[in-house]
Amino acid sequence: MRPPSSIRPAVLLAASVLMFVPFAHAADDYKLGPDSLEQKGVPKGKVIQGKFDRSKVYPGTVRDYWVYIPKQYDGKSPAAVMVFQDGKWYVSPTGHSRVPTVFDNLIHKGEMPVTIGVFLNPGVVPPARQGAKPRRNRSFEYDTLSDQYARFLIDEILPYISKKYDVKLTDNPDGRAIGGISSGGICAWTVAWERPDQFRKVISYVGSFTNIRGGHVYPALIRKTQRKPIRVFLQEGENDLENLHGSWPLANRQMAAALKFAGYDYKFVMGDGGHNGKHGGAILPDMLRWLWRDYPGVKQP
Amino acid sequence: MRSFVVGLVVAPLLTVSVSAQDMPLSQVLIDGEQWQQVGQGYKFTEGPAVDQHGNVFFTDVPDSKIYRIDAKTGKVTVFVSDSARTNGLMFGPDGRLYGCLMGDRQIVAYKPDGSHDVIATDVSSNDIVVDSRGHVWFTDPANQQVWHVNPNGKKRVVAKGWRPNGVILSTHEGTLIVTDSNAPHLWALRVEQDGGLKFKSPSYQPLVLPPNQDRPGSDGMTVDKDGRLYVATHAGIQMFDTQMRPSGVILKPQNRFLSNVCFGGTNFDHLYATCSDKVYRLKVKVKGAPYFTRAKRGE
Repeated sequence: MRPPSSIRPAVLLAASVLMFVPFAHAADDYKLGPDSLEQKGVPKGKVIQGKFDRSKVYPGTVRDYWVYIPKQYDGKSPAAVMVFQDGKWYVSPTGHSRVPTVFDNLIHKGEMPVTIGVFLNPGVVPPARQGAKPRRNRSFEYDTLSDQYARFLIDEILPYISKKYDVKLTDNPDGRAIGGISSGGICAWTVAWERPDQFRKVISYVGSFTNIRGGHVYPALIRKTQRKPIRVFLQEGENDLENLHGSWPLANRQMAAALKFAGYDYKFVMGDGGHNGKHGGAILPDMLRWLWRDYPGVKQP
Repeated sequence: MRSFVVGLVVAPLLTVSVSAQDMPLSQVLIDGEQWQQVGQGYKFTEGPAVDQHGNVFFTDVPDSKIYRIDAKTGKVTVFVSDSARTNGLMFGPDGRLYGCLMGDRQIVAYKPDGSHDVIATDVSSNDIVVDSRGHVWFTDPANQQVWHVNPNGKKRVVAKGWRPNGVILSTHEGTLIVTDSNAPHLWALRVEQDGGLKFKSPSYQPLVLPPNQDRPGSDGMTVDKDGRLYVATHAGIQMFDTQMRPSGVILKPQNRFLSNVCFGGTNFDHLYATCSDKVYRLKVKVKGAPYFTRAKRGE
């Protein structure tokens, strides 16, 4: 039905105002800050790419990885280490997080320790038969509630990287951090939850603490398990996923509430983004400063 | 498959495409559709298998009979009246119906006239799968192993060490999936060129366990054209997506032992279930993808 002509101009005016008034903040318009962009005079670490195909924890898998070695690494004292799931997204110089550049900047400023970055893609089992499809192992590796991914890192990846690139990685669990997005986020938490003797620092972007493979039980477990020495930063968005596996915003709120209840050293940021790395990437430098704030040698904020 | 393509396109943009590949029950089930009884009065039904026309064959194991359900009329007739307690069944690319004869300790291939050729002798067996090239795998729960018979008739054990029951191939035949009667997961193994199996992984997990049960009762399986896997269990027909993630449970047609499932009907768009004394079917939104139709589909 056409509106009466007398009110039409008012409607048109309202519509045009809505169209042209710039919003102070549109949803999910997070931008990278200076700490995520290359800065003049800051020494650049090197990034080396490789392929790992000898896992016993995940037999038959092949995966790309990247290792970041900061310029400040002296080859003598053991470096801190930080692992990222879905490594290609985190290591990319045009990606949501640009971790090598962030590390360059923060290490240069003394706001995080000299840290070796390990960026791992999920594994794929290539098919042996013509016309068959590869077995994509990402969900099995990241969403499963067990110590398998921790064992993969501790028994296979870290010794391999250390030897192959002749780098000394710290044994101090407070110097071992891990981060990821979505299923890679819950994976990071699972590694620390299963092996806090090895990893105690966790970053999660839009973490899948939902029922993909049972991960929705973590808030309940956290509340009824003796507190573990884990420091965790959770980033989540109001417009994140809602699907058969669960509601991502609700699941992350449950995680935050459980961590608070159980007295964890945690931080929870709820933005207005969706299921992507924009918000997480934009605040990654802050996450890292918070994560490493009291590590030996790091400048106090 | 459109959703998969979306995932590939989005990934380079460095966003995460979890939702693009989700496969909820709503993609499979039709609102208002109910299980329809196809046949009743059997002792213990098993082994549903579809032929190229969509006719579904199944066994009444203790009664040593194999039945045929006509795809067009739904009429059930006896195909083999003395089947030596045949259990698992599947059609091969040669149009023969391969079966596990528990009574005669044989694997045979039934011809359209009901006579059969012997494929393997002196073996205990339960369930069977035949690929588009005529390779055969069957489970041997009693001896906790999986057998392979190549197209030349040579048999050998290709996996062992757990109690298998149901067996199926992934839609594109690169992975063999085998149930584990004692654990809430299914094993995935890579199929080698010669039919051997490598890289065993409990990737299909967790299976839903009904309250107060510690075994899933996972048994017969089937796959659809989009790559979903369906496994008959105590809790119902459990569905997994192409990333091997649990994606839903379809309720059993009756509260009795559910042994097996397959797609059938003229369009392969009905899920058939053998459930103790009865056989049922349910119209769904997705279609089965029998391996012997792959060449025809140009794959």
